[in-house]
Amino acid sequence: MRDQPSDLVQGTLDMLILKTLALERMHGYGISVRIEQMSKGVFRLNAGSLFLAIQRLERDALIDGEWKPTENNRRARYYTLTAKGRKRLDSETREWGRQVAAIGRILEAS
Amino acid sequence: MSLLRNITSGLRSLCRPDQVDRELDEELRAYQEMAISDKMKQGMSRKDAVRAVRLENGSVDVTKEIVRSGGWESFVETCWHDLRYGARTLRKSPGFTVVAVLTLALGIGANTAMFSVIEGVLLAPLPYSEPDRLVVVWENNLHFKQVVWPSYPNFKDWQSSARSFRRMAAMKWRYYDLTSPGSPEHLLGAGISSSFLDTLDVKLPFGRDFSTQEDQRGGAPVVIISNDLWRNRFGGNPQAVGEAVTLNGVDYTIIGILPPRFQFDERVDVYTPLAQGDPLMLDPRGAPAIVSIARLNLGVSMAQAQAEMSAIQDHLVQLYPDANKGLGVSVVPLRQVLIGDVSGTLLVLFGAVGLVLLIACANVANLLLARSVGRTREFAIRAALGASRSRTVRQLLTESTLLSLGGAALGLTIANWGVRPVLTGMLGSLPRSENIGVNTPVLLFTLFVSIAVAVLFGLAPALKNSKTDLQSALKEGGRGATTARHRVQNSLVILQMALTLMLLVGAALLFRTIHRMSDTNPGFDTQHVITFKVGFSPSLTKTASGMRTAYRQLLERLRTLPGVQAADFTYIVPLKSRDNVAPFWIGSQMPAVVRAAPRMMVFDTGPDYLRAMSIPLLRGRFFTEDDTSKSPCVAAIDDVLASTYFRGQDPLDQTITFGWTPPWGPCRIVGVVGHVRHWGLGNESSHTQAQAYYPLYQIPDQWVTGSEGFPTTTIIVRTPLPAAAVIPAIKNVLYGMGKDQPIYNVESMQEIASESMSAQRFPMILLGAFAGLALLLASVGIYGVISYSVTQLVQEIGIRMALGAEKQNIFGMVIAQGLRLALAGLVIGAGAALVLTRLLVTFANLLYGVKASDPLTFIAVSTLLTAIAVLACYIPARRATRVDPLVALRYE
Repeated sequence: MRDQPSDLVQGTLDMLILKTLALERMHGYGISVRIEQMSKGVFRLNAGSLFLAIQRLERDALIDGEWKPTENNRRARYYTLTAKGRKRLDSETREWGRQVAAIGRILEAS
Repeated sequence: MSLLRNITSGLRSLCRPDQVDRELDEELRAYQEMAISDKMKQGMSRKDAVRAVRLENGSVDVTKEIVRSGGWESFVETCWHDLRYGARTLRKSPGFTVVAVLTLALGIGANTAMFSVIEGVLLAPLPYSEPDRLVVVWENNLHFKQVVWPSYPNFKDWQSSARSFRRMAAMKWRYYDLTSPGSPEHLLGAGISSSFLDTLDVKLPFGRDFSTQEDQRGGAPVVIISNDLWRNRFGGNPQAVGEAVTLNGVDYTIIGILPPRFQFDERVDVYTPLAQGDPLMLDPRGAPAIVSIARLNLGVSMAQAQAEMSAIQDHLVQLYPDANKGLGVSVVPLRQVLIGDVSGTLLVLFGAVGLVLLIACANVANLLLARSVGRTREFAIRAALGASRSRTVRQLLTESTLLSLGGAALGLTIANWGVRPVLTGMLGSLPRSENIGVNTPVLLFTLFVSIAVAVLFGLAPALKNSKTDLQSALKEGGRGATTARHRVQNSLVILQMALTLMLLVGAALLFRTIHRMSDTNPGFDTQHVITFKVGFSPSLTKTASGMRTAYRQLLERLRTLPGVQAADFTYIVPLKSRDNVAPFWIGSQMPAVVRAAPRMMVFDTGPDYLRAMSIPLLRGRFFTEDDTSKSPCVAAIDDVLASTYFRGQDPLDQTITFGWTPPWGPCRIVGVVGHVRHWGLGNESSHTQAQAYYPLYQIPDQWVTGSEGFPTTTIIVRTPLPAAAVIPAIKNVLYGMGKDQPIYNVESMQEIASESMSAQRFPMILLGAFAGLALLLASVGIYGVISYSVTQLVQEIGIRMALGAEKQNIFGMVIAQGLRLALAGLVIGAGAALVLTRLLVTFANLLYGVKASDPLTFIAVSTLLTAIAVLACYIPARRATRVDPLVALRYE
């Protein structure tokens, strides 16, 4: 049996969304699929928390949204990273790296 | 930037909810569709794919709800929903709403009115620029530890040496009879130094300030007039500058008009240069003469100014030991001087009105609790549908806020149109009462109070309600939490009773104080005495002998009027604020330090004064018309002075000398008279008690015509006729001697006596009104709770009756329940009152003749309150006896 999807570490969802959008413009479903793929199924997003985070990021001007037609002729909202969002992603990535390293050192020490 | 985006986005979903909802819907459906088609690509049937996506993400509607609740606008939205829902429920029970809003309006209205007084009198800044830098500089009698008015020469020396002040100025009250242009009128004036208006930073809209040349003896007669006088006498015409007004027979040129509403302590209409005033007042270095104000330099503290002034004063004591020995100096904030000692009384009243609001809150809380019984099901259903506890509490608090804002709006109207004019009228004797009004700070206070109040009375019922046990509530139709609710209701009634008792005790103590004071023998007969002042035409009073003759003739003519038993004039009227305290010594040998000599009150009077006032002559004689400035000096003393300073000796024919430099006397003591209460009918032990009388006709020429001479005397007439009947005859006599002679300040001695009690009367009336309000609210409260409990106990009563209980037993049971609550409240309230009424003494010094713990007052008030409580329980008790056991039991 494969592992149950894990809960995200609190506060990391925003960072993951920003990271996903740093590669290319994407719609909501695309973001959730991409996160699931990249995490090899460890993280699975629920639509509610995904769109709550998107709303928050958009209001903080970290991402911009735009209606565009999809491949199969529907309309979806595509999101791009803003300059401010890119800066935020950089700083959060650095901070995350520092924290992971620190936690790793603590766990190794014991 | 992002804040702006946040706000606009939130506003968009508030203002265009449909469009935002459509967009969110479309986005989510696109998401689901994509998820479904992905699953179908993996080989699921569409039906299975739809179900799988549903399972993973929940329905679109739930997701939408989650996303929507993320923004701040959702909070606004629920508040709005709560408000509308609250307003709807309140409209559905108009009886409850009206009673609750009225109760709150009374409480909030009374508090708003009282706060507007506190704000206007105590809190509002003084109406001058940078008022915190303004100070008053007093001289300080180190022997009696009292501040006194500085002498003018000392002030001049301060002014030239002090470096702590940007400006220093002096002023002195003066009295002026204006005789032209227009009809004669008596005005309050002030002599001010040329630096006075500059110190207060007052800019004249027309004309100019006094020059230093004008602020000198012999300077040109110039005057600055108030804006009111300018409007009334000169129609507000700027051409008035340069025109002449006749004051006390001298033509003054108007050189300046003051800005509207300018005022310094009292309403003054004419300002003249200080140094042109009476040399008798201004020249002696030893005589208290002026009020000195100053503006601190930037960065100079009170303590620094005080230190510098003390050093200067020490130097002046060394230079002029005769006049200045025993004198220090104190620098006091102007604000403290202008506000005086009313703050204690006002704060006690503010506390009292706060208690009224608490009682009102307890009432509304009780109403809410009783009402919530009917709503138990409503809240149970809400909870069953998934409303969280905090959501329910929020809904209930929104309702109570609605109630209290309604109460505040109504209360503000009451305060503004009803209570406040009455209050300002009554507080006329307060300093700065012209400041009182409903302004922004008052409105903010009311808003704050109403919200605080909403939480106060709304929170307990809200918490109680939201905790309903779902099952029992839905099953039994709402009798689940009744015992807990009873406990809260009972505590609230006990609280109300306790608070009401405290207010009643306070009001009763003040009432007893006033009663005691009215019963006090003031040492003279207040009945049938009329007092007034006159202004003689300047042509009659140019010289001292002319002045004496004018008064002698007027008094002689007054005595022949029908109904007049006695008439004479006096410098000081007992119980009025003017006084004349002077140092004195027996014999003629001046003591080394005059400032340390004992003090007495000197009454300068005519010979008929004793009969006019009905003051008893105890020994010797009083003055006659023959005691004049040409005969040897005589004086009379009162029995306090006789017994305190002539222990065992006979004071008659001994001599006494008194006054500042130069002293008056020695005068032979020719009589001993009864003591008169001058300082008020209450406690006067802190003031000078010894009294002496000095014949007005004996006063030297230069004093008779001086600024504090005969024109400032008051005429006393003893007549059994009412004032309205005598005054026309008096006016005839006066106008017969000259047409330009005003008569003013007409008062009966009883009015003066009653006014002297205003410091006690206005708090008594207010506290009485608050206590009455409290009594009303508390009796409604106990009535409500008892009648509610009767409806709850119908079954129990039915069973008791079925088991053979008599009607009296049931009646007694209900009354006893009410009494238990009332008594518990009385005990707690009495305990608290014992502590709090002490504030009336220590904080505001209001009581006289009764102790703060006066047992009679406590017993009387407790009895009254118990009787009211029994009365309030009577109706529900009667209703309980009419319960039909059959009906009651069938109910089950």
